[in-house]
Amino acid sequence: MADDVLPITVTVNGERQTKVVPVRQLLVHFLRDTLGKQGTHIGCDSGNCGACTVICDGKAIKSCMQLAVQADECEIETVEGLSEPLGPQSELQASFAKHHALQCGYCTPGMLMSSKALLAEQPEPDEQAVRRGLKGNICRCTGYVNIVRAVQDAAGTLEQG
Amino acid sequence: MLLANFRYARPDSVEEAVEALAGTPHARVLAGGQTLLNALKLRLVRADLLVDVTRIEALRRITREPDGALVLGAAATYDEVARSPLVLEHHPLTAAMTSRLVDRQVRARGTVGGNVCLADPTSNYPPLLVALGARLRLRGPDGPREIPADEFFVAPYMTTIGDAELLEAVVLPPLHDDDGVAYESLQVGTDSWALARASALIRSNGTVSDARIVLGCGSIPVRQRAAEQALIGGPLTPETLAAAVAAVGEDFDPPTDVHASSAYRTAMAKVMARRAIVAATTKETRHG
Repeated sequence: MADDVLPITVTVNGERQTKVVPVRQLLVHFLRDTLGKQGTHIGCDSGNCGACTVICDGKAIKSCMQLAVQADECEIETVEGLSEPLGPQSELQASFAKHHALQCGYCTPGMLMSSKALLAEQPEPDEQAVRRGLKGNICRCTGYVNIVRAVQDAAGTLEQG
Repeated sequence: MLLANFRYARPDSVEEAVEALAGTPHARVLAGGQTLLNALKLRLVRADLLVDVTRIEALRRITREPDGALVLGAAATYDEVARSPLVLEHHPLTAAMTSRLVDRQVRARGTVGGNVCLADPTSNYPPLLVALGARLRLRGPDGPREIPADEFFVAPYMTTIGDAELLEAVVLPPLHDDDGVAYESLQVGTDSWALARASALIRSNGTVSDARIVLGCGSIPVRQRAAEQALIGGPLTPETLAAAVAAVGEDFDPPTDVHASSAYRTAMAKVMARRAIVAATTKETRHG
């Protein structure tokens, strides 16, 4: 059976584009392979780790748990949308760097996108709110303390000391 | 490419969706996809056609009927249910429980209808819906029908829904002034899966006139009728509470797995049931 294909129109990081995609293509593969945006990582490929998190119409979602066709007419933001490649980092990215909130860095794109969605919804989260807000993202280097600090510092809720 | 080949349809109406389901063997409903896509990746499910119902407006709505019943569209996401002003006002416990499901990514996509139709034994919704006396509104080629949540779940991952039937809505009957609802889970971690759950809806004005006590994490949500009877007809006292808790465990056969033995789960189900009964009958903790 030949692949069933459909045209979809998506806005990715502000750029609206139409592509014909196989209906069985996952959103994460559309972003990485079709659009070449490889900042979005594939970790577990089973919806557990959150490395593939992107923001879709304002909400963090796991792009390995969506079909590309489901993103038709949606607005997607990937980690590439946070700042220009060689430009200044966004506040959140700078805070991750300052607090050493990454070791191997594999989970970082997902952590950043979930954090961005969290802060958009809850601009001043306390530590518990950050931990709960990032529950869908796993860091196998287990660097959670620094990640939570980075998000809190970006939000201005980090207690010094 | 990780998924086996299939065709994809995105109908605009419930009628078109039912027609698509009826017209293709091995057609599957795609809602949030938070379980279905994994099942497809693992080849646990065969789908020749995916019928994406997430763009059907009628399935996304949350409304209130003249008798006060809340109608949760089956494709309403967890986020939409948790933030709905109607759910927050009339079924605050359901809103609170939903706001803590899994994680933010899953809450953005997962749907109440998908949860119910999956009938995962460890899921949050099924035991709560049975306690609330919820009804499930289905539509198939022969028209609509409505069945109580009690009769919907038949085995793990198995419900009475027909092949070409679509769950349209979950209907939550209005709570009475004297109703208290509570929900207790023993979880492996925060907002994580559970070893034992119990929910209770208790109607009391000093005298308990009705009770629905339901255990989760067995093969299906199961009413605890002997425990309910131990409470009905008098005030809640330490003695009636003890009698009710002693009766908990009826028709309950949770599995033994890496997390806990069946005996441990049963013991914890009694603890959760006790907490749920107390919470549902305590002014400060009951929802309703």
